[in-house]
Amino acid sequence: MKFKLQHIVAAMAVATTLVSCNNDDDTTAVSGTGDAEIFFDNSVNGDDLLLNTSAYTNSNGESLKINRLNYIVSNFVLIAEDGTEVVYPKENSYFIINEGANSTTVHLEGMPAGNYTKVRFGLGVDQQRYLQGETAQQSFWDLAAASELTWTWSTGYKFINFEGTFTSPQTDGEKTFQVHQGSNTATDNYREITLTLPNTARVRTDETPSIHLIADANVILDGATKIRLFDALNTANTGAAIMGGQGLIDIANNTLSMFKVDHVHNGAGDHHEE
Amino acid sequence: MYTMEQAIIMKSKCLKVLFALSCLLLVSCGNNDDYQAVAESNNRLAFNVPSNFPPLAQDIEYNYPTEKGFELGRKLFYDGRLSADGTISCSFCHEQGYAFTHHGHDFSHGINDQVGTRNAPAVQNMAFQAEYFYDGASNSLEMLSIVPIHNPVEMAETLETIAVKLQVDKEYVRLFSLAFDGSGVTSGNILKALGQFMTMMVSSNSRYDRYVRNEPGGSLTAQELQGLGLFQAKCATCHKTDLFTDSAFRNNGLPPNPNLNDLGREVVTGFTTDRYKFKVPSLRNVEVTAPYMHDGRFGSLQSVLNFYAGGVLYSSTLDPVLNQNGTLGIPLSQEEKDAISAFLKTLTDTDYINNPLFYYQT
Repeated sequence: MKFKLQHIVAAMAVATTLVSCNNDDDTTAVSGTGDAEIFFDNSVNGDDLLLNTSAYTNSNGESLKINRLNYIVSNFVLIAEDGTEVVYPKENSYFIINEGANSTTVHLEGMPAGNYTKVRFGLGVDQQRYLQGETAQQSFWDLAAASELTWTWSTGYKFINFEGTFTSPQTDGEKTFQVHQGSNTATDNYREITLTLPNTARVRTDETPSIHLIADANVILDGATKIRLFDALNTANTGAAIMGGQGLIDIANNTLSMFKVDHVHNGAGDHHEE
Repeated sequence: MYTMEQAIIMKSKCLKVLFALSCLLLVSCGNNDDYQAVAESNNRLAFNVPSNFPPLAQDIEYNYPTEKGFELGRKLFYDGRLSADGTISCSFCHEQGYAFTHHGHDFSHGINDQVGTRNAPAVQNMAFQAEYFYDGASNSLEMLSIVPIHNPVEMAETLETIAVKLQVDKEYVRLFSLAFDGSGVTSGNILKALGQFMTMMVSSNSRYDRYVRNEPGGSLTAQELQGLGLFQAKCATCHKTDLFTDSAFRNNGLPPNPNLNDLGREVVTGFTTDRYKFKVPSLRNVEVTAPYMHDGRFGSLQSVLNFYAGGVLYSSTLDPVLNQNGTLGIPLSQEEKDAISAFLKTLTDTDYINNPLFYYQT
């Protein structure tokens, strides 16, 4: 547990309230702020995602050995039982999930205490915020660059950097693949995803819920639209790259079903901390 | 988990400590007057939209130019340290005397004498444009500097490394602090400073501008006026408004150079329907920005007009405007070409290409 000044202040505020208003009979209302965390458990079609290890075969018959899965999640919103939406401050709401660096948990701090039943977040950087420039993104560039999530030949961010090697029934030998999902000046491929929680996430001054999401990397290519890496092979037949065109639009739509909530832990303890 | 918030919290703690220390200093050294630099003003610069221009295409309020931000951006624009080996500044390929193009070069050479595949575009009236580069690789004035900085045949550098290089230069540390309210040499601030400099780079005082604004010195000859009329009838569909571009991507029927096979806009979008489409360039200062076209293949305006009159090649993405009832291109007599050429030379803005504000002595 990390002790933060804001927690202590919040706790003191609550204590003061308790002392001074002992006639308060609104026993069900909660006050103050607390934290919430969202754990992105990267997987492949029900199996653990292990980088640089075994191959995963998809419904296209292609076997992918994955060596990188990094992505940007943003614009977090917690939605309470009564439908109230608590928007995490947008300027602080860009996070990088980096499987290789074992950075897989998003911490939301200072959320109003309450019972939350849904979570919404974006995959990538929204166009409105992108056009507001670096200030609005809190100089997110350096962090994104450290996780290979910047685009420099077309300015912006890779929303997903999914790379490795693959074999295909249509061709011999192992080839590389690079799937770089993002927006460009022609198509806006940012998507927002809303998930209903199977049980309520309780945010309290002394309770930090952990929302355990399963992120299925298989869905990126093998979702509502089936995308064959074979079709994206370069003319030298050495590797496949998807970095533009219809592929990005199809991937954006596939990723709408990439995330599921497995369960929510409630309580005071830390969960899924690296 | 990385979050910017954590970084900001750390930064604000540092600032609090600094503030506390500076209070102590003020108390103990009340007569010390060498902290004036800290109080140096950083006023917003006046930005005026010329009366004959269309509205801004970028929201400049997000990164509004200030005195210090502009000066810092100008210094960066002329600094070779923005490239991997210290030799290539922005100004290397964007020379003021030629409306910030690379004079005499169809393609520019970057670090290690590597050669690019496109002609350096003019840097002018940037905040009035919605898309940048021939293929629209960026639509943000603040972000566009990323492209040439990172291009392996141009500057081959990264923003993060530039920040590290400049952090050891006390003058830069001072200038970033002044420009960005005590903030440091960061990737974001480098982009913002360059963005502020480019926001101010407005070219709007050519003889043509004075003519349309009824200002002194705004007279056009009979031939130039004939050229203006022809231009409005035959060219202004694409070279629209007093920016002389509609910022659209079009295939003008230029036969692709087989050695390059530059796909144009398709490179960015991935759509074959965008093949061979390039951004319509502004024609401001066109007299001084030779060579012409995205690959700099034409050395003179005469050659450009000859191409439009008789060299347009059909392909599936050829702009329909250049294919009227089976007639490709823009039929023009020699007299008409001469008049259009004369008119285009009235777009030369000597105030802009000589303005000391945009020059930095390195």
